[in-house]
Amino acid sequence: MREEVQKIKRLLEEQLYVSDAAVATALYLSMTLGKPLLVEGPAGVGKTEIAKVLAKALATKLIRLQCYEGLDATTALYEWNYPRQLLHIKLEESSPSSEAEKEATIFSEAFLLKRPLLQAITERERAPVLLIDEIDRSDEEFEAFLLEVLSDFQVTIPEIGTITATHRPHVVLTSNRSRDLSDALRRRCLYHWIDYPSLEKELAIVHARVPAISEILSRQVTEIMQTARTMSLSKVPGVAETLDWATALVALNATQVDRDVLNETIGCFLKDEADIAAFKAQINLEH
Amino acid sequence: MKRIDVVLLGRALRESGVAVTPSEVVTATSAFEVIDQADPEAVFLSLRSVFTSRVEDFPVFAELFARYWNRTPEKYVEREGLSKTKLQVRPGAPRRGLGYFLENWSTSRGEDGGEVKVPGASETEWSAEKDFSSFGKDDLDEVARLARRIVKRLAKNPSRRWRTVRHGSRINLRRSMRQSLKTGGEVIALSHQARKPKRTKLVVICDVSGSMDIYSRLLLQFIYELQNSFARVESFVFATSLSRITGHLRNKTYDHVLEQLSAKVRGWSGGTRIGESLAAFNAEWLRRIDKRTVVIILSDGWDTGEPEQLAHAMRQLQRRAGRLIWLNPLLGSSSYEPLTRGMQTALRHIDVFAAAHDIASLRALEAHLVL
Repeated sequence: MREEVQKIKRLLEEQLYVSDAAVATALYLSMTLGKPLLVEGPAGVGKTEIAKVLAKALATKLIRLQCYEGLDATTALYEWNYPRQLLHIKLEESSPSSEAEKEATIFSEAFLLKRPLLQAITERERAPVLLIDEIDRSDEEFEAFLLEVLSDFQVTIPEIGTITATHRPHVVLTSNRSRDLSDALRRRCLYHWIDYPSLEKELAIVHARVPAISEILSRQVTEIMQTARTMSLSKVPGVAETLDWATALVALNATQVDRDVLNETIGCFLKDEADIAAFKAQINLEH
Repeated sequence: MKRIDVVLLGRALRESGVAVTPSEVVTATSAFEVIDQADPEAVFLSLRSVFTSRVEDFPVFAELFARYWNRTPEKYVEREGLSKTKLQVRPGAPRRGLGYFLENWSTSRGEDGGEVKVPGASETEWSAEKDFSSFGKDDLDEVARLARRIVKRLAKNPSRRWRTVRHGSRINLRRSMRQSLKTGGEVIALSHQARKPKRTKLVVICDVSGSMDIYSRLLLQFIYELQNSFARVESFVFATSLSRITGHLRNKTYDHVLEQLSAKVRGWSGGTRIGESLAAFNAEWLRRIDKRTVVIILSDGWDTGEPEQLAHAMRQLQRRAGRLIWLNPLLGSSSYEPLTRGMQTALRHIDVFAAAHDIASLRALEAHLVL
């Protein structure tokens, strides 16, 4: 493995993110080639976490844009601070300055509300990590708009002019695949798929994140989770649920998972009444 | 692995159906420059993250990568251009279908409000419930009402986006501010905004082959009503080939429509070639379909064509459409299971699979149409 890739892996692990060669390579390439990284995978496997950990590891800012249906340029890019503009106009009513001057003032950067995308572009210190979370939730129009921003990292504001990125942000996009993303967007990005972790990896994650857990408990927890994922449940528990459950068990001072403990804490990783019933039925059959 | 192999791998992937663009090949070669070229894992992971853009492509990539890794350099043999396989149109066995119905519609039309006898009805074995095979005039009216209601729902559904309106409950600050500059910063006229209605489009593709004959009349009525109360509907019919009937249905009385169609309709009934018809649809109309389009296919899934062609067409369609609905009249029968080859391949690419054999099933459709 190349030195830089290994360094990234180490940095991630310092932030308690159990990584593998695939993540490290993808991040390395994304940073070296200056390409956005598209991360896909089921819910709760730590897609968003990649960006958070990366920002921490690089000691830089994390700028997050949470996508939702109807998200548009005014919430993603910039908006003028209207109340402030109004107040300013009122206060300056009697001042001798001309209308053109007044307009120049109220459409200056001081009256600009920077939304995540503009923030990411105008970051002065160093390249921030721009996390575009759940891009599949936004609509196609926004996707097209995003493509434009991501291709040249510059934004034109009619009243001010064109703003070009001082540092190209490291862009991470995540998707839960609730909708198929356009090919144009996919092609612009490097691709990384995160699946549910293997038993060993999940065990490592539990130990990294819940250090107080005992060996036997962690093994039981991960084994049960791995079994749960093989069942046909409507909401398959992710790693996030594993960690929630492990933390809960530690807080409850449980030494091992028995039937009572399982009954009390099953809500930590199964969030659906029908799933809980199905899970219990199958577990009992096995015993 | 050499740089040329990276390019060739990209080409091989493209030939295997993975959408690799020239710009991705360029990215791949530059990625190749910055990694440890002797480390198979690094090369594999890097090239995979560049060349593929969905997890479904991973197996193909793994297979081709194995072939290109460490291979002895050989001259790349240019593949011969795949000659386009000519599609042969097999004349289907002539059966009584919509064509028959259309030619005889005037005689089968019940003016007295009694039962309407639709040709072919006696051939059906699913007559336990009152389905489309026997219908009164009241039912026809009900179908019309239903279509209009669905359309109303479609037109009213608000989107998350805003538009400027004269009167509304929300103030559009941006515009109000802009306008106030005219009056020296005094906000006099307020601008309002409201939710834009969702512009859902509807595409109906109806199977009019022989096996569908008992349902065709009702479904045609349904499509006719949709077409005439909603601006954004495109209608198509197919049996062995596809024809667009949007223009035929629009702005005419139903009788007039039937008259016109019967002139055009000869040769419709007979065998079904769903895959081919959908491929024809895709070739010409796929570009018009977007995530705001609901595509409805009305068919029983009896396909005499190639299942692969159908699967491919369905996959294409589903990827572009907001929702792909397959209405199968046979689903109304309790003993029916979608076992036909065509139906089985199609099932994997359908968002909603529902019945369309009686009024109740059409009513249930309403919920699926709203995106």
